[in-house]
Amino acid sequence: MKMIFHDLGQHEYAAWVEAPQEEVTVISDNGTIRHCTGCFGCWVRTPGVCVLKDGYHNMGELLSKCDELVIISKCEYGSYSPFILNVLNRSISYVLPYFSTQSGETHHRKRYDHQFALSVHFYGEDLTEAEMETARKLVAANSVNLYSIGNNVYFHNSLQAVKEVLA
Amino acid sequence: MNIALINGSPKLKKSNSAIMLGMLEPLIRTGHEITTYHPNKKPLTPEQYSELCRMDVLVIAFPLYVDGIPSHLFRMLVALEEYMKAEREGDIYVYALINNGFFEGQQNHLALEIIQNWCSRCGLHFGQGLGQGAGEMMGFLAKVPVGRGPLKNLGRAMQGLAGNIHSRSVDESMLFNPNFPRFAWKFTATHSFWNATAKKNGLKKKDILRRL
Repeated sequence: MKMIFHDLGQHEYAAWVEAPQEEVTVISDNGTIRHCTGCFGCWVRTPGVCVLKDGYHNMGELLSKCDELVIISKCEYGSYSPFILNVLNRSISYVLPYFSTQSGETHHRKRYDHQFALSVHFYGEDLTEAEMETARKLVAANSVNLYSIGNNVYFHNSLQAVKEVLA
Repeated sequence: MNIALINGSPKLKKSNSAIMLGMLEPLIRTGHEITTYHPNKKPLTPEQYSELCRMDVLVIAFPLYVDGIPSHLFRMLVALEEYMKAEREGDIYVYALINNGFFEGQQNHLALEIIQNWCSRCGLHFGQGLGQGAGEMMGFLAKVPVGRGPLKNLGRAMQGLAGNIHSRSVDESMLFNPNFPRFAWKFTATHSFWNATAKKNGLKKKDILRRL
């Protein structure tokens, strides 16, 4: 399965795609997402699933069935946009609370024997070099923590440019 | 000076960000007006955003989330940028207090960079950031004086930060581990925190490991 996380308006994204694609799970903002409250419930109360039942509670399970994750996000200060951050914050059940040490750094252990390819398409009109550098490093760090098969980062100066690449 | 302490933890009750702000406040209280904000409980009001534009110093405390900033706080920062551009008149210095769940405080460096980039967009001065590793330990160290034992590095850094806030100085950021052996931290975190908390919830270790 391929997954797409995007922060476009739902109608805007629908206009990009001529027909719904099978085998593609799209995660977008329907206005109901709640922010992670740091309760660790997805690790020690209902392992693998978030306790906030808002339709975004099964992100970890979805990632475990995904072969390719594509993120489309506005780049803000070298980070993802608030909605994409929100989704990623709600995805930590994909890994375990337990720790492992890799190259001298602590990370969470894998819950699943599974890996997906990660591509991130950032858009924004006047991104600075510093912001793009931070964003590249952020995706690389996420890639390590999510055990993705490498990572690819692209920058686009408009949404139209993203559409031309992805549509 | 007017100083805003922004608790960016998403936790509604006890948080490590609140502990860190609680350590800092007595060091900067004298001679300054301090106001605390909790954007986790409900979004800031337009009046509160405007207040922040009139501050001399912002101290933003938060936990590292997925190598960056928790989404609710980030949403607030995005909104605050617009207020800053429209309403700010004086110089504002920004200081960051970050804690992360992993042992190495160094892993906070990207969140610091994001705060620095945000300052640049808003026209604010980035003063200094502190990044404490193994932040979840702090909740269990309430009786340990700051600057002693596992909190030795934090105590020293906090003194320096307080001095920089008093003088609105720019200084090098400091990212550090607790003064505690990594193996002991990992053992304690696994058995006395994760497994013990799961047990209280009626779960066994095999339940924590479950796959869906």
